Amino acid sequence: MYENITRWVFAAVLSSLALTQPMVLLWAGQSTNIPDISGSWERARDPSIPPQGQPPLKPQYVKEWQAKMQAIREAAARGEPYAERVVMCLPEGMPGMMAGPFPMEILQSKGQVTIIQEAYTQVRRILLDREQKPVDEVEPGFYGRSVGRWEKGVLVVDTVGIREDVLYQHAPHSKDMRIRERISLGADGLLRDEITIEDPAFLEKPWTFTFAYRRMADYQLLEYICEDNRQYSDDKGLQKIRIPGL
Amino acid sequence: MIPGRRIHWACAAIIILAMAGAAAAHHSFAVYDHSRTVTLKGKVTKWQWTNPHAYLDIDVRDASGAVKRYVLEGTSINMLQRVGWRSNMIKVGDEVKVEFAPLLTGEPAGLLLEVTFANGEKRELPVPAINTFKRTPEKD
Repeated sequence: MYENITRWVFAAVLSSLALTQPMVLLWAGQSTNIPDISGSWERARDPSIPPQGQPPLKPQYVKEWQAKMQAIREAAARGEPYAERVVMCLPEGMPGMMAGPFPMEILQSKGQVTIIQEAYTQVRRILLDREQKPVDEVEPGFYGRSVGRWEKGVLVVDTVGIREDVLYQHAPHSKDMRIRERISLGADGLLRDEITIEDPAFLEKPWTFTFAYRRMADYQLLEYICEDNRQYSDDKGLQKIRIPGL
Repeated sequence: MIPGRRIHWACAAIIILAMAGAAAAHHSFAVYDHSRTVTLKGKVTKWQWTNPHAYLDIDVRDASGAVKRYVLEGTSINMLQRVGWRSNMIKVGDEVKVEFAPLLTGEPAGLLLEVTFANGEKRELPVPAINTFKRTPEKD
């Protein structure tokens, strides 16, 4: 009987601790200065953020990139846009998913922060307080391998292992590209992700830009499966629409 | 169709798309005419409730009785749901009125901007930068 009561008291204390996340984190022995960033977020306008500049590519790559962007603009103006990878149901990957085409959800759990982007149900896992692996030990993918740690309330993240064909703003990059992020919750309630891309092979200097997000109260992410898209890429890489019977 | 006008609207669309940011830049709607819209009545043959975009197919009967099928592209169903659309609002066989930006190639297709349901209720689609599509008043 006595043993049972002890067990119940212990369980009650544990569950009351679990009710408040900061307490759990304190209990887990981590920094107490961890903001609650769990929940749904959507991109927000933030006048304090300077407009995103073009990628600071090395001179030998600038011309090709500018010509590509010009060709994309002209094709769209002609009404014959190039088929972006999303037409083939391919997700943006990193860092494009953080541009937040749709709402995103952040989950904070022990040892991990998980970010889910509603569009294409994109998921990235930020492993907390873990060592980053050398680039060559990470199989290249859409999201790479992310490790992070909380520093004075800022989630500092390091990502490597992004596939060379997963492009942001059509900027070329090498397999050694590194994405550094500083994710912080402002006093104004906005969440900000300051992203710095390092890639000495292609960039003259690190490329930094910031996205801001506002909380979406009571919004639950919807499912998103890309299926039976009637847009397609023709043999010239142009976006066309499939019309049955024609 | 004046070519200069088409380019003008396409340029305006690009500027607004750039301003609107990532949400609008996802899937291009540049294949559609930004300078005019078409309004038609027809019978629903398919209402494809899918991502990345929904599609509405309708059969339209002309004055001579000939039937032509139109393929109308909508937005993502997630965007539709966020502004109150539901998959059961349209059913096969429904008589609907649609306003769309026609495909520039002249094929019977378009970007769906507004639907008037069988019950008379009218709903606009949450097309990014919808104000870059010049609306043509409906002909009686």
